[in-house]
Order: sequence, then C-alpha cells, then structure tokens
Amino acid sequence: MKKIFFLFISLAFLASCDPEIDEFKAAPGNADFTRFIVVGHSIPAGYANGALYTSGQENSVSNILSKQLMTVGASALIQPMVTSEYGVYSGKRKLGYTTNCAGVTSLGVVPDEGPLEALAPVGYSVTNLSVPGLKSWHALFPHMGDFDYLAYGAANPYYCRFATNPANRLIDEIPPLDPTFFLLWLGDNDILSYATSGAESDSITPVALFRQAMEAIVQTLTANGAKGVISTVTDVTTSPFFTTIPYNGLVLTQGQADSINIAMTMFGLPFRYIAGANPFLISDPASTHPYFKVRQMTPGEIVLLTVPQDSLRCAGWGILNPNTYMPTPIPDQYILTEDEVAEIQSATTQYNAIIRELASTYGLAVVDMDQRLKELKSGMMWDGVTLSTTFVTGGVFSCDGIHLTPRGNAMAANFIIDAINNYYGSVIPHANTNSYPGLVYP
Amino acid sequence: MRKFTGMFFLLLFTAPTIFGGGYQVGLHGAKNIGMGLIGTSLSDDASAYFYNPAGGVFIKDRFSFCGGGTLLMARTTYQASDMAYQTSIDPGISTPFYFYAAFKPFEDLSIGLAVNTPYGNKIVWGDDWKGRYLIQDISFKAITIQPSFSYRFNDVFSAGIGMVMTNGNVELNKAIPVDGEEEEGQLNISGSAYNVGVNVGVMVRPFKGMSLGLDYRSKINMFVDDGDAVFTVPASLQTSFPPNNQVSVSLPLPANLDFGASYQINDKWMVGLNLCYVFWSTYDSLTFGFATTTSVVKETTTPTLYKDHLITRIGAQYQLNDRITLRAGAYYDPSPVSDDYLHPQTPSLDEIGLTCGLSVVPVKNLSIDLSFLFLKGFEREGTYLPDNFSGKYKTNVYAPGIGLTYSF
Repeated sequence: MKKIFFLFISLAFLASCDPEIDEFKAAPGNADFTRFIVVGHSIPAGYANGALYTSGQENSVSNILSKQLMTVGASALIQPMVTSEYGVYSGKRKLGYTTNCAGVTSLGVVPDEGPLEALAPVGYSVTNLSVPGLKSWHALFPHMGDFDYLAYGAANPYYCRFATNPANRLIDEIPPLDPTFFLLWLGDNDILSYATSGAESDSITPVALFRQAMEAIVQTLTANGAKGVISTVTDVTTSPFFTTIPYNGLVLTQGQADSINIAMTMFGLPFRYIAGANPFLISDPASTHPYFKVRQMTPGEIVLLTVPQDSLRCAGWGILNPNTYMPTPIPDQYILTEDEVAEIQSATTQYNAIIRELASTYGLAVVDMDQRLKELKSGMMWDGVTLSTTFVTGGVFSCDGIHLTPRGNAMAANFIIDAINNYYGSVIPHANTNSYPGLVYP
Repeated sequence: MRKFTGMFFLLLFTAPTIFGGGYQVGLHGAKNIGMGLIGTSLSDDASAYFYNPAGGVFIKDRFSFCGGGTLLMARTTYQASDMAYQTSIDPGISTPFYFYAAFKPFEDLSIGLAVNTPYGNKIVWGDDWKGRYLIQDISFKAITIQPSFSYRFNDVFSAGIGMVMTNGNVELNKAIPVDGEEEEGQLNISGSAYNVGVNVGVMVRPFKGMSLGLDYRSKINMFVDDGDAVFTVPASLQTSFPPNNQVSVSLPLPANLDFGASYQINDKWMVGLNLCYVFWSTYDSLTFGFATTTSVVKETTTPTLYKDHLITRIGAQYQLNDRITLRAGAYYDPSPVSDDYLHPQTPSLDEIGLTCGLSVVPVKNLSIDLSFLFLKGFEREGTYLPDNFSGKYKTNVYAPGIGLTYSF
C-alpha cells in the first residue's frame, strides 16, 4: 500500500515539467549582419513628437531592427544619443488638454517642455548615421557636419553632433565603419520639406540629382561588398500630417449655410453651402472674379496638420471673416493644391523607380515602405491591436503627424525584416510590437 | 434565484482548469477517471447519476454515496510563430470535485443527486504578455446540482432523467491598447448566470455481463445579463471608456451524446468503451454587449467557430483480490477548434489522456478510490485570424484524484 501511495505522489511531481516547444531559430541566410549600419533621415534617427530625444532614439526603427539583427550576429547599434528627454531644440510635443477659442477644452497636442541638451559633439563614432532633416544630396555635401557652417545654414546640427571630421561629407563616415549590412532609408525629405511648407518654400530635389546622390551613397555603402536593404520613399497622402484635416472640414448648420449663401450671392461668387460638411475656401490666382481670387477645395487637395485650428474655428479661415464678412481663404502655406499634390506624387513615383533600379543593380533588398504604409491606411491587425495611419488613435504616428511612435517603429522594423528575410533567405525574428508603447494619453 | 446563487458561493469551490477540447471537464469520479472515463454503461455506484441516470437503479446497494476531488495541474507553453517569444503559464492548480448520492426506496426505482463541476476554464497568461489585448486571464466555473431518478422496467432495460441546475461564474481581464502615463488601459469583466438543462439516459443489459448505455445532456445557455465591465483608462479617455459599465454575454455549455458499452468478462476483468459526441458547434461566437456604448465601446463579437467532435475512450478494470481493484484507460479528444480560430483564451489542442487508478476496500462497504490522469495536448500551431495572433501551443495536464465510496 505504501508503495502505491508513493507512486501517486511521484506522479504528482511530474507536474513541474513544462511542455516543451522548440524556440524560434534565427538564421542569417545569405547575408552577413556582423557590422550593421544605418544611413537615413529623421525616422531611422529616432526623431519623434517633433524632437530627437533619448527614449525616441532608444525606440528608433534602426535600434529595434538592430536588436532583431543581433539574433543573427549583428553587434549593437551605436547611436549619437541625446541625453535629454526633451531634445536638442524645443518643439517636442505630447498629448494634453487644449482650450480652443470657443472655450472648449479637449484632448489635443501641446508642447512637452523640459531641459534641453546643449548642441555639442557626442565624442564617439556612431553606426546609426541617420540625420533628421537630411536630404539625399546633403550626404555628398562637405562640411555638412561642421559647426562653423551652421550659422550659414550650410550644415545640419544633428550631423554636427557626430561628424568625425568637420570637413567630412556624410558618406565619408561610411568606409571606416566597414559595414557588412546596411539599412538605407533616405529621400523622404527631398519631397517632404517642400510638402510640409505647403509648397510655398524649399523645393523638390530634381530627379537627376536624387539619382546621382542615391547612387553615390549606394556605391559607398556597397564598396566592400556589403549587402543591405533600401526603403522606398513614402507618399505624402499616407501620413496624418496631410490626411487629418479633410478638405471639406467646414461643418455648418442650415442657418449658417443660408446666411453664407446670401453673402456669396451678393459677392457674385458661385459657391453654395449646405448643412453639414463643406469644402474650405482657398486662394485661386486663376480666378476670373474681379477681386475675390478664391475657390473651394477639391477632394484631392490637402490641408496641413499645422493649420491653426482656432483660425479655422473662430477667425473664419476657409470661409468668411466673422467681423468683416469678407471671404477668407486658408493661407497657401497650409494647403497643397491638386497641382502641388500631383507634382509631389510624381516625384515620389520617380524616386521609387530609381530606388528599385538601384536595388536591382546593386543586388539589394527593397522594403516598400510606401506600399506598406498605404496598406496601413485601412488598418492592420498585429497581435490583437489594430494599427493604422489615423492621427493619435491609429497608434503608429507620433504627435507631429510625420514621425512614428515606438510601436509604429517596431511595426516598420518588422516590414524591413520581412524584406530582408524574403530577399536574403534569412530567418530574422519579428520585433514584438506589443512590447513597445504607442502615444501616451494624459 | 439570488438565494440559490448565494448558496453556491458558500461552497467555496475552485475552478476546473483548461481542459479537453474546449471548456468541458471530464473528472467526475475517481473510479471512472481511473478507467478512462467510460462511465455511460456503468452502474457501480452513485456516480452513475452523472454519467447516465439510467444506471442509478442498477446499483446493487440500497444506499450509495460518493465524494471526492481531483488536483488538476495544467501547464501550457506558448511559442510565437514569428519571433523569439516563449512563455509557460504558471501551473494553475484547481480542484474539480463531486458528490453523488443514490437511494432505492423501491426495487425498481432509484432517486439520486449529483453535484459536480462539469464545465470550467481557467488560464492566466499574465498582465504583460504578448497576447494581453486578446486575454490576460480568464476564470470560468460552472457547478451543477442534478436531482434525478431512474426506473427499471425489467432486468434488461432502465431509464433515468435528471434536472441539471447550473450556476456559472466568469471573470476575465484583458488589456486595452491605450497607454497612460502610469499604466496601460484595462478591462475587467465579471458576471454570473444560472440556467437549467436535462440529463436523460437509457441502459440496456442484454445478457449477463454486458451493459450498454446511451445518455444525453442538453445544452445549457449561460447568459450573463448584468455583468460588470470595469474599464481602467487614462483620465482623458474616460468619456470614451465609461469606467463602470454593464455587460451581457452568453456562453453556451454544449450538449453531449454519450454511448457506452462494457463487458464483465469474468470475476476479475471488465472492459469498456465510450463514444462521446459533443455538440460544440453551438459555440460559434462570443458576443459582449455593453449597456453604455460609445464610439470605441460597442458590441463586440468574437468568432470562435467550434465544430462538433467525437471523443473515443477505452478502459479496463481488474479485481486483484477482495480488497484491491486496479484500473487503466485511455482516450483521444480531438480539438473542436480550427487552426484559424485558435485563441489563447482556450488554446484547444488534440489530446490524449492516459489514466490509471485503484480502489482499496479497508472495511466493508467503504472504498477508497485513487486515480491519476496524464493528459497530453499535442503541439499545435494556429492563428486567431480576427486578431492576427499566431503561435504554437502545447499542454500537459496532471491530475491525481481521490474519492470515497460508501454503499450499503
């Protein structure tokens, strides 16, 4: 009898055994990830919420990707770390409460202020060569990292922080690192700086210059046989900076519409308004009207996220000034017209053709970030969370509407990993998107 | 009904844990567990009232009482399909219990009572795990009280019926993907339900030693109509997620049709088999309806798309001597869930159960029944498509049990 009871107790102890499943097996495939570097703009630099700051860099797409590549032999990425959580320049934003001109308080984007880091060299060599604000051809420009050139606007302060020699071009930083694998995500700023100015300042990099710059960068990167992955440039219509405010965001009551229609009739303007959503007014130099050079926006046109909301709500922007009752177009700097959008999209298409061609010529993987972000517009489910390009609630874009949240960066890193795995036959594990936060709500 | 619910809380039962094809638990009598849960054609003791009420009247003794419980220890491992992420769940120990009584006031009529915990699910994945937006933890427990009677038409044929009064409790936690300065959003749902079903069976003994049984337990719908839904979210989102909401949810307990056959070969050996058809297809979705709805809190339907399935069981019993009886059995329980709907809330696997047991009779009329069940849930890779959550799961369950039978 005792033996039998003993047997039962022994069986109970078996319960301490975990059922075993084989762990994920990572494999490098046909690439050598030993010395991984990144060349890019603000997103791979870790810029987010309108600033480059410590935790933004820790959660940069480059750093997340690097951690995953470490499972296939990469060494840790070295980034030019900003020691402040508020950045080098003011302008960081966060979610908070804002009170509008009508006295209504709601959730909105507010400044996130704190002690900044003084601009100074970091004093060590880095492997994340991404620079916020960098355009493709900037990488070929000497003294772009020279503090002495900052005053003339001929240098980039973020590159100044880690340039190993003031006279260097950014691509001169590459050969000493002797990369075996790289991520190149550049070119968005060649269009974006123009687009975010409402096509009023800056300009789109000419396609030929873009090709010349990108080819020079790729040649430098692959000079010693390194392999890598290049990202396509993303279409402006995918980021919330351009998609959040609808062209017909003028919401009226029947009474408001009626009174506006009386004014429009009197002014001899053909625009008529209805209860509900109506297109904003913008300026139109081609208008044949003797003095009101305005027109209504059309569905393909874009209002930028930076447009002052209170001016829309209380100063009659996009319709009639409440005091003078004069038609008040939204200023051009907040608008991309159909022609401007076409110009931007045409450049994007041509850039991406060049990127694919270079990838094909130099035997590199392409991550079609443009396509993946377009798929994300309608939402994409990741482990129980729907991520989308919607501002704030989409979980992907940070408060500036252009750069990504940590979770958005993890998702982008996974897109890059898919491209690498697909092209090089490697088995690199995805990053766990759910271990990276989205936007923080107050 | 309130009073009735309160009474159950006093019983202080703990939940059966993750088990079998879905959330149905099969541990309702140490003797039966020992021989692979083949009870539908058996009438050794009062546990017949659960397995097949028709067996009650064939119990030899005028009075029969059984009581006992099982120490159920389940361990599940999850490995993500696409990343180096593995977790093993802390062993959830739970103790399904049973109590049965049978009494024959007349030779051809028996009345009986069965109290047990035939359905349950408890799984704790943790607050921060990868699938926390699907489920962090769930505890579902149902206890049934079944007054019943059975009648013998002759030495060959009997029938029995019981009313299955079921009280269920559910509590679940899941994270909500909104980050606050301190913590992430959280939803806690809890509620209870009561409903009644029927357990009806027939038993045939065509010749000496042979017994056939057929038993049907009806579907019982556990409808929670005033459960609590507590949202914990950052202050700025509290209008979107009203903190104290009410929720309704309906969880069906599937009908079972069991066929059993057993044969007493000689004084020492008895063998049997059981076919158990579970009407799981009734569980095709789980719908949560909230009393207060907003743009983000609205009725959610989680498709589950379970399919009916058949559990096959065999078992044998060997009487060593007057004092000791040995038992062994095995069964195969295929998962009712397809690969596209494998949810961490109930990571249902194809399972093989191996059981053994013995009874010792220390004094006349009393039997101490020991059982041991080892259940292996085979490794399976699946995705819960609606949430795009995939991974490999594997489960081991160890369940030693003990019971007492007293008949006279």
